[in-house]
Amino acid sequence: MVGSIIIRTAFAAALLATLLYYLVHRKRSSVLLKYARLAYRTAVAGMVSAAGLLIYLIMTHQFHYAYVWNYSSTDLPGPLLFSTFYAGQEGSFSLWAFYTSIVGLVLMWYSSKKGYEAELMLIYSAILSFLLLMIIVKNPFAYIWDLFPKDLIHSGPIPAGVTNFVWLDQAKGLWAQYPSEGKGLNPLLQNYWMVIHPQVLFIGFTSMSVPFAYAVAGMLRRDYVSWIRVSTPWTVFGAMILGTGIVMGGFWAYETLGWGGYWGWDPVENSSLIPWLVCVASIHTMLSQRRSGSFIKTNFILSIFCFMMVLYSTFLTRSGVLGDTSVHSFVEPGMLVYWLLLAGLFLFASIGFGLFFSRMKEMPKVPVGHSFLSREFALFLGSSAIVFAALFIVIGTSSPIITGILKGKVSAVDSSYYVTTTLPLGICIAILAGVGQLLWWKNSDTESLMKSLRIPVGLALLFTLGSFIAGAHQVAMLIFLCASSFALFTNSIVGYRIFRGNPKMAGGSIAHIGLSLMFLGFVASAKYDNKETISLEEGKQVQAMGYTMRYLGYHPIERGRFAFDVEVERGGEKFIVAPVMFNNKESEGLMRNPDIINLMTKDFYVSPLSLEAPDSKNEQDLTIEKDEVQQFDGMSIQYTGYSFATSPEKGNVVTVNLEVTKGGKTEHLTPEMQNQRGKVIYVPATLENSDVSFTIKGMGLGNGGRGKSSVTVTVATPLAAGQQQKAETLIVEASIKPFINLVWIGTITLVAGFLITIVRRAGEARRNAQG
Amino acid sequence: MKVKVIIAAVVIVAFIIFGAVSFLDSNVEYTDFSKAEKMNKKVQVKGEWVKDKESTFDAKSDQFIFYMKDDNEQEAKVVFDGAKPNNFELAKSIVAKGRYQDGYFHATEILTKCPSKYQGDSTAVNKTL
Repeated sequence: MVGSIIIRTAFAAALLATLLYYLVHRKRSSVLLKYARLAYRTAVAGMVSAAGLLIYLIMTHQFHYAYVWNYSSTDLPGPLLFSTFYAGQEGSFSLWAFYTSIVGLVLMWYSSKKGYEAELMLIYSAILSFLLLMIIVKNPFAYIWDLFPKDLIHSGPIPAGVTNFVWLDQAKGLWAQYPSEGKGLNPLLQNYWMVIHPQVLFIGFTSMSVPFAYAVAGMLRRDYVSWIRVSTPWTVFGAMILGTGIVMGGFWAYETLGWGGYWGWDPVENSSLIPWLVCVASIHTMLSQRRSGSFIKTNFILSIFCFMMVLYSTFLTRSGVLGDTSVHSFVEPGMLVYWLLLAGLFLFASIGFGLFFSRMKEMPKVPVGHSFLSREFALFLGSSAIVFAALFIVIGTSSPIITGILKGKVSAVDSSYYVTTTLPLGICIAILAGVGQLLWWKNSDTESLMKSLRIPVGLALLFTLGSFIAGAHQVAMLIFLCASSFALFTNSIVGYRIFRGNPKMAGGSIAHIGLSLMFLGFVASAKYDNKETISLEEGKQVQAMGYTMRYLGYHPIERGRFAFDVEVERGGEKFIVAPVMFNNKESEGLMRNPDIINLMTKDFYVSPLSLEAPDSKNEQDLTIEKDEVQQFDGMSIQYTGYSFATSPEKGNVVTVNLEVTKGGKTEHLTPEMQNQRGKVIYVPATLENSDVSFTIKGMGLGNGGRGKSSVTVTVATPLAAGQQQKAETLIVEASIKPFINLVWIGTITLVAGFLITIVRRAGEARRNAQG
Repeated sequence: MKVKVIIAAVVIVAFIIFGAVSFLDSNVEYTDFSKAEKMNKKVQVKGEWVKDKESTFDAKSDQFIFYMKDDNEQEAKVVFDGAKPNNFELAKSIVAKGRYQDGYFHATEILTKCPSKYQGDSTAVNKTL
């Protein structure tokens, strides 16, 4: 109750802040500004205390709150318990609103120094109001008995022994029971990355709204030029954080989910990549505008799109429109969320684009002052390629909607679509990332360009030749490798020169080095990986892919999980990998986590598939038609029919009647198949005085009941003397991922490049405001 | 200037055509088993895992074999290239991507959809009381 009130108060305060900032924008009153700030700070205080309250409820296991019950349990260790804060939709919207409110405080301080506060905070408070409205609708503080009134709300006296109850209305004798244990966190999410990755990602999402807010503020102030100086550091910051979050997600998937890869073109992954691409494109055109004054309109459009794409992606992944086409998508959140997300998208799009079209005529026209051989043009082409990539991914991700409208039948594109469409663009981007660094602003002369191209192109060709010899024979991949290595060499050469002059200016080159390393890593690890399924009998050495592997046995680790130790040997070096498997209590399903040996030039990736129990018996499946007699292992077996019964203890029971004759003696055997509320149990029947057992494996009712029925039974006979017993066998999928380290090193380099750029641009914005 | 505009237009149109062709090419249609049997192309089928019927993992071929019932209650044997997916038991419904051949559905990809956490889940709440 308290939580809901706090959120409603915060929402009202944020709306009030929006209104007051609007009045400040119109009237420039310093008194109103004071109140506007107060209103915004009240909203922040509300959001922070709501978040604090939710964390308190989670940490103290207050299962009478539906959200706490749904996503946490008492057996979770502290950090994971904390992370259940954002395990569900209500909580992840709360996390987003929380970071948005906090970032707003920094933004308020930053923009007041630059003179943008009123307009910027006007739109920013509106964004916060929208997010707060989302958590009013998807309330994380709902009581559990409101969701299960039939099961939990009772009237009359409280039975003895019931302690976990609350009085709803003591006068009427109305009370509600609440659970004493929660449902727990999805075991796939029980990993330290769950503590870090979503937080980074949501800070990234939050920062995508800042360039949008600046663009709107710029248009409101009729300032079409200098807003980008103030906005650039934030745009780069957004690209850095969101980029880090995306790669962290990929690393998480790779390291613990056992999908074998770090990227699957899933809608949820795409939905954070799309705004990131738009954001990166806008960094490039903003740079161009700073130098030459052109691209004014492009920068407005891209900054608006940045945030639109965040909202649109949220809509795609949170509203349930993608239905069954995503692994992640949350299951139907209800129509209200669907319409609210759509309304938010339209509201902010019409604010952004409405202002843009009404102010378009006023915007200064800057004649094109650069030639085709200029850095501006390269930046423009680069941004276009990035925007096209974003566009293709948006279309692919939206394919269930598009096909639903066009064909009336929902379908999704295959992940190969993304590879086909982005590969040529990736090549263009790599080439431009190299050439752009060699071009001058305004105009370059062809001769000096050719001269500076010589070394990097030569090196790239050598590199490509080397890759060809190493085994890369696919033309498209060779072109991509050539382009990426060209970008790498060019940026290294140029970057080194810049770095010696002024390290602060080298951000761009360093970021491009990171990007080209990532590109090279993508090709090597995803296109030239090598996979094999291997059966490892305990204690026996198995040769595979140039490695010698030996399964040593398993041991229990924390929380009912088991690690399966495998010794891996290559060239005299020994490693132990310990992939993990465990049974999930909730679903009774098998969960698996891979383990990885990280070598300098490759990863050896071991993903467990299953554990086969040791064979102590010979097993053979027999399918017998009704009244038929089959001979097997000195026995004659006849199937005489089946009967069906229902009992409260056993559930639905199918009993099969078998007449088995062995050594002249005939026995009547009745193996059973019990179905207890969907859980099937097979009860075998065993011959007297011999160790032969019969277990039902399947039934055939024969041509819709008209024909003869049949039964498939598994006959287990003891091992003959001298027959070798097969030991416990671990089955794994092993794969080699060449040069995957390049992906991670590239990411770190890219982030470093962004960081240097932020420092430089923030310094410029400061000097600009002072001067 | 005119040349520039034409070049730009050509490039953009080429990209759009390229995108549209790849889109149509890689679109994997949703269908059911009876239609999948007739179409000899990659499709996706939504349905439920038939838990009563046997499901096995064949270590030699690295394939997981199980039975699935589509939304029209039609059953088919599914052979999936890979191990039993994580969360398979928990899944409310599954989507198999692949093609129908030789009397079974050969799946190359399986998506599992976890059950809605709220709706009608009163068994879960009663279990934790």
